[in-house]
Amino acid sequence: MNSQASKGLVLNIQHFCTNDGPGIRTTVFLKFCGLRCKWCCNPESIGQKPELAYNINKCIGKKACGRCLQPPAPEGAMYVLDGSDDRIHINWDLAHGCGEETTSLCPTGALYLFGKEMTVNDVLKEVEQDGTFYRESGGGITLSGGECLLQPDFSAAILAEAHQRGINTAIETAGNVPWEFMEKVLPHVDTVLHDHKLTDPVRHKKWAGADNKRILENFKKAYETFPDKTFVARTPVIPGVNDDEEHIRSVLAFIRPHKNVVDYQLLPYHRYGEPKYRFLGKVYELEDFTPPPPEKMDHLRAIIDESFGRTAPGTTG
Amino acid sequence: MAAGMQRIAINSGGGYVPGLNAVVTGAVLAAHNLGWEIVGIRDGYDGLMVDDNAPDGGLINLSPQIVENLGGAGGSILGTAARNDPFRMRTINADNFVQEVDRSDELLQKIRTKKIDAVISIVGGSALTGAHALSVAFKLSRKGLRTVCIPKSVENDVAATALSFGFNSALGYTTETLEHIRTAARDVHRIAVVEVLGQQAGWLALQSGMAVCADVVLIPEIPYDLRKAAAKLREDEKAGRRPSLVVVAEGATPKTGDASPTDKSQNLQGHGLRKSLSPLSDPLFGEGARVIERSGLAAETVALQLQRLTDHATLPIVLGQMVRGGGPTAVDRQLGLGYGAGAVRALENDQTGVMVAFQPPDLKFVPLAETINKVRTVPASGEFVQIARALGISLGD
Repeated sequence: MNSQASKGLVLNIQHFCTNDGPGIRTTVFLKFCGLRCKWCCNPESIGQKPELAYNINKCIGKKACGRCLQPPAPEGAMYVLDGSDDRIHINWDLAHGCGEETTSLCPTGALYLFGKEMTVNDVLKEVEQDGTFYRESGGGITLSGGECLLQPDFSAAILAEAHQRGINTAIETAGNVPWEFMEKVLPHVDTVLHDHKLTDPVRHKKWAGADNKRILENFKKAYETFPDKTFVARTPVIPGVNDDEEHIRSVLAFIRPHKNVVDYQLLPYHRYGEPKYRFLGKVYELEDFTPPPPEKMDHLRAIIDESFGRTAPGTTG
Repeated sequence: MAAGMQRIAINSGGGYVPGLNAVVTGAVLAAHNLGWEIVGIRDGYDGLMVDDNAPDGGLINLSPQIVENLGGAGGSILGTAARNDPFRMRTINADNFVQEVDRSDELLQKIRTKKIDAVISIVGGSALTGAHALSVAFKLSRKGLRTVCIPKSVENDVAATALSFGFNSALGYTTETLEHIRTAARDVHRIAVVEVLGQQAGWLALQSGMAVCADVVLIPEIPYDLRKAAAKLREDEKAGRRPSLVVVAEGATPKTGDASPTDKSQNLQGHGLRKSLSPLSDPLFGEGARVIERSGLAAETVALQLQRLTDHATLPIVLGQMVRGGGPTAVDRQLGLGYGAGAVRALENDQTGVMVAFQPPDLKFVPLAETINKVRTVPASGEFVQIARALGISLGD
């Protein structure tokens, strides 16, 4: 294992996941993403470096502490408002780039960093705790993000090691990476969960930050290059953005010629990630969006079921 | 006297407020009288930075003839950029990755290339509300840009000034609408719960609520107990006054009796690696955080609870962003013209890195460092609150 592969930036390790591939799985979230989907529920995963976050509920205030109001914290980055509440506030424009030198000032964990460097062994040690569940349920490890393929050496090393230890592997990817990254990781993957967010490249750029030309090229090439892998297409269904039949049918037209794409799952929009935007000083742009109604999801899933030759609605995902 | 000042620019960052053109008009007329050229930068700094949006170079040549009829009109000739930031501009790199890049040096170079000697920026409210424009101006000023800021806010929450541009117009529109709503609600025997803007500062809710003698006004500065508000409504009813209007600022919160977060976190020692990796693994992460999940939530929450407590049908209504539209009131026209002309006077007097502030009866120039990281909130025992109580308005406390 080379040094580049041995360490990576991990955001979180989540146990007992049931929607990230077959069986009960442990999902490892890696940092860094090349898209900016407006509905992103993991905004803490986007940056390439550890990111400052702040939970005011854990702050004990200037009188009791106040350590972050002094250097090495940047001037003006932290402040206290007039009034009886002396807890710290963050000026996110001036706090940009704050790292461990700042968060280490905070004794209560109100200031913290999203993202921690880990080794492959660190990750596998945590993942293997759930080995019994994998064997019983047919589960395993799933790499997610962010975009796990943006740490290709680290991802490939984790997945190769997991295979060595007899653990089933999956990844969740949006595919906006150079083909070489995908080519490096996919040999070690059993199941590829991949996103088709929008069909039209201009609209894809508007809602996800970059167009989907390379994404579609990558997926097509992946289907053909790795015929023994299992692919599952997925779409996060965002009301008024991609909840139309046209998008669903165009994705079906793209995937159905490839027999190794075994399913197409729809993930209804949710707002669980919204509070995290506040903790990161970011703005949640879809302020007034609401989840799609179940009837709409059933209707769209019925189209998929029909295409896959399934009769009962709601069996896809 | 400003040496060598020949050409200045004006732009607007942060959210929209009614009648921004009045500020532009004030600056243009004052600059013209000094013999200076003045140009408008479209959409914050996007006019200079985003080529796709700038077929005319992103700059508008402004003259007294062009602004002649702008003062009373709604809309903004400049446009605005609510969230764009030259220090973190979203860019697609050669690998088709989206990334945020510091392009402030490029911006300053473009300003020099366009022979712009100074920039007047109309900026939004507090850093807390996500209005970055003031902090961006502060950072550009620290990098050497000659700049003067003008405060605008429909919430009147910018520190160091008694009155931000746009507040009076929003207050007028809100008051007029509340009056309509109250009449309709009273006629159909319902209590309208109207949510107005105000995340940290309750000026708009309090002053509009006072203006129409609302039954209850809930503001962020005074945590509320709806049982007390409901008791007041029942008393009013017994006295023969049918309750019909509750005004709630979007950032108003109920009183809570939470234990200290540090006590709770001590129960989480066992989470080890997961907790060290991400606070999201902490089951108490974010508990009790005050997050405005979406517009209308405050009205819905209060309406539902009041209905339970009073057995009166309630009607949640959200004014929200609507009050940002339209033209300026007479007060805002004068204030806008004054702020625009005042900013030019600041530059004429070699002032830079300052905000023009209305501190009655004067316009003063306040260093930007004294305006950032502050919010102008309603003093909980101040004159406005006392007047509201004297009018019989419940503040839910």
